Amino acid sequence: MKVNQKTRRTSSKRRWVSMLLPLAALAVACGSDDGDADGSAATEAPAVTGGGAGGESEDAGGLRIMSLSPAHTEVLWAIGAGDDVVAVDSLSTFPAETAEVVTEISAYEPSVEVIAEFEPDVVVIGDDFLGLAEQLTAVGIDSWTSEPPTTLDEVYEQILDLGIAVGRAEGARELVEDMSSEFTAIVAEAPVFDEPLTYFHELDDTLYTVTSETFIGAVYELFGLRNIADATESDTAYPQLSAEFMVSQDPDLIFLADTKCCGVTAESVAARPGWAALTAVSSGNVFAMDDDIASRPGPRLVDYARAVAEALASLED
Amino acid sequence: MTSLSLRGVTVSYGRARALEPFTDTVRPGEWLCLIGPNGAGKSSLLRAIAGLVPHDGEILVDGAPLSLRTSRRRAALVAHVPQAPSLPDDMSAFDYVLLGRNPYVGYFGSETKHDRDMVRGVLERLDLQSFAGRHLGTLSGGERQRIVIARALAQEAPIMLLDEPTSALDIGHQQQALELVDSLRREHGFTVVSAMHDLTLAGLYSDRLALLHQGHCVASGEASAVLRAETLTEFYGVSVSVHHEPDGTVVVIPRRSPGV
Amino acid sequence: MSAAQDDRRSWWLPAASVVLAAAFLFGAMIGPAGPAWWRVPLELLDRLPFVSIESGASVVQSEVLWQIRMPRVVLAAIVGAMLSLAGASYQGVFRNPLVDPYLLGVAAGAGLGATVVIVAGRSTTDSWPIDPLPLAAFVGGLVAVLLTYTVGAAFGAARASATLVLAGVAVTSLATAVQTFLLQRNTDVVRQVYSWILGRLSSATWHDVRLVLPYVLVSSAVLVAHRRLLDVLRVGEDEASTLGARVDRIRITVVVAATLGTSAVVSVSGLIGFVGIVVPHLVRLLAGASYRRLLPLTVLLGAAFLIVADVPGRMLTNPSETPIGVVTAFLGAPFFILVLRSRQAAAR
Repeated sequence: MKVNQKTRRTSSKRRWVSMLLPLAALAVACGSDDGDADGSAATEAPAVTGGGAGGESEDAGGLRIMSLSPAHTEVLWAIGAGDDVVAVDSLSTFPAETAEVVTEISAYEPSVEVIAEFEPDVVVIGDDFLGLAEQLTAVGIDSWTSEPPTTLDEVYEQILDLGIAVGRAEGARELVEDMSSEFTAIVAEAPVFDEPLTYFHELDDTLYTVTSETFIGAVYELFGLRNIADATESDTAYPQLSAEFMVSQDPDLIFLADTKCCGVTAESVAARPGWAALTAVSSGNVFAMDDDIASRPGPRLVDYARAVAEALASLED
Repeated sequence: MTSLSLRGVTVSYGRARALEPFTDTVRPGEWLCLIGPNGAGKSSLLRAIAGLVPHDGEILVDGAPLSLRTSRRRAALVAHVPQAPSLPDDMSAFDYVLLGRNPYVGYFGSETKHDRDMVRGVLERLDLQSFAGRHLGTLSGGERQRIVIARALAQEAPIMLLDEPTSALDIGHQQQALELVDSLRREHGFTVVSAMHDLTLAGLYSDRLALLHQGHCVASGEASAVLRAETLTEFYGVSVSVHHEPDGTVVVIPRRSPGV
Repeated sequence: MSAAQDDRRSWWLPAASVVLAAAFLFGAMIGPAGPAWWRVPLELLDRLPFVSIESGASVVQSEVLWQIRMPRVVLAAIVGAMLSLAGASYQGVFRNPLVDPYLLGVAAGAGLGATVVIVAGRSTTDSWPIDPLPLAAFVGGLVAVLLTYTVGAAFGAARASATLVLAGVAVTSLATAVQTFLLQRNTDVVRQVYSWILGRLSSATWHDVRLVLPYVLVSSAVLVAHRRLLDVLRVGEDEASTLGARVDRIRITVVVAATLGTSAVVSVSGLIGFVGIVVPHLVRLLAGASYRRLLPLTVLLGAAFLIVADVPGRMLTNPSETPIGVVTAFLGAPFFILVLRSRQAAAR
């Protein structure tokens, strides 16, 4: 057989060189490690250059807070940190003072570059599933994160924790005390029933609900109400019920937490096929609640409790 | 010049036996042509030699078993031109023929100048140099046939297997292709094993014929010995008359029964 | 034109390198915040050794550029290159221009892995020393392909690639079904899961880049080294075999390398679709179908592609982000229409 001689090709060298060029560019870019940029942004107080929306913070020495969580925005104002807030996400619409600092930043898909340009000292993120905290740390910005609370105690803990983080520990303590005493007062004045009433808390019109292992479920528990979703023994706190289950459980009370998002009313519920047979519907015990308040573990939970108390008081017994 | 020795080569697809034990020795430089009806086992035998199907029995090249060799060594010994070669439309003719050099190129290596010169030489020899840069999809049937042969030649393999190399060609291109293979065979000393349908052409170009029927080799030898009317009638079920030309060519002529 | 002829000095690679460099610069310059676009080249030059230039950007802007935008651009390049290269390699092995690694189950497996971790909840996994999400996605992708191979082999995929593809469809369906089931029962994490599945580069950090780089480098090196062999495969497995190519070994090596690289990038960037099909197709239109040229070019142009595709994601809905998976999906639809039209034209 013929033996083949292999000689090195010179043109293949050129190919490898042209492939190395972009790698060199990569090397330059990667050369700037986070080792270089140790928190220089937060410790200096640079003049705010470049646009950025709103961002009025008259207090040059105070903490610059940015909130990406509507619930915690309400907490910040309630503990007296409102003046320190330089920007909030698009859904943070309460209290009214947020109008001055509200931005179009989405709480779910925020642009980290824009957040960084606000030069906040701390960013309050509700549930950080995007890993924002890590990116913010890389530019020297602190963040405060939390998970949705499942009990009222956890709500209080978060408020206290946030208070410490933004230097308003005193305000946080006061808020927690106020909330606690108000809950007690509201429950004391609410009617008591011989047998605990059952309730269904509607999240949307496909029968998604909450169990009592949520902060809103905890509010209902204050009144001794029983959640029909607990009977499902589901492993999630936000199960979906089947229509048959609903009917078999036949809750005494129905609370609608989808009035704002989905336009649901007591009338529209009564019009649902088969629902007219439910006790709650035929007795007129379907109550429209405020979506926002029901979904934010903040100071307005007290208002929610008040609404529940009113609903209970209106029952004809 | 390489000899090919087949000893009891048997091919089965599952339970079905496609080729009964086939024994033959093809001498160096000889052209053996396999004939027989469809499904007789011709392609199976060629595929077995090419290493495409598992087989029982032994296949020896110059006395050494083929199965012991790596696939690259095998490709340097045996070139297989399949019945329906796959010619990617968007590949250039040069690149396609260059594939024939694969047995000589390292796994991660690339072709050398020698490989490229060799391919250029083969294209010139087959009068295809003007097609080198053209895509295969733009070539005519005859040109494609020659390109496939060119690739087999680029392999520099001493044993060439041709499975129906001319069935898709018109009579002119058929002759052209077979003449080409024959002259190259004499020039380079290839050993050729082919499978063909056209009995006259088979007898004209090959040194020996082997008639396969339902996997069995039922006749083997020179054209005049194998191409007999009664033999063909028995195994092809066809009505023919066999005519011998003065120069020795055996011509097989199909006949129709009179008065039908 | 012949890709192997040496009498034509190939200018494709240098040209593609220039395109990549331009895309890199473009991606670095454009963003919703950070230094003004014309300051960026100065910032980049400043980083070169022995060079010191004042770009005039503030410290914050500089930080935004180097800690938020650059890792994102670099990650886009790495992910784009890897997905394109893996796609082209799969197309070489399966001889079908419409396949990519997601086909054999990497996407569904990685998605399921991510879903499991997210559903398990952070309270379960916060105490772990490493972030389990990328790991779960990586492992999920690999396990899915392994399962595909096992199922395919049981049904004779050793000789027929089509069997393997079918096995991949079966595994993908199963993984997707399980994932949907989990999501139905845990709707509070739906947003998070979908956010991951849509693919994102917006949360890229240098840590992510360091995490995937080794896998991508190894995988890319192996795949590009196989480019000549993929050309040999173009004549079909039988003929390639008679030409001396070890088809089964080539196929396994290429599939493993491509899957490894894809799983790695998917674990940090989520499922960015279409790149593995669109980029190789575009490169073929420009430079021909030879894998010898295609593979190196898809690395360079795939990187450029994703860098550029990432820009609308951060600019269009400024100051919010649109996940890059959405952008590539929007590109995918017209692409397939293009394919239909070119097939129609070719058929005439």
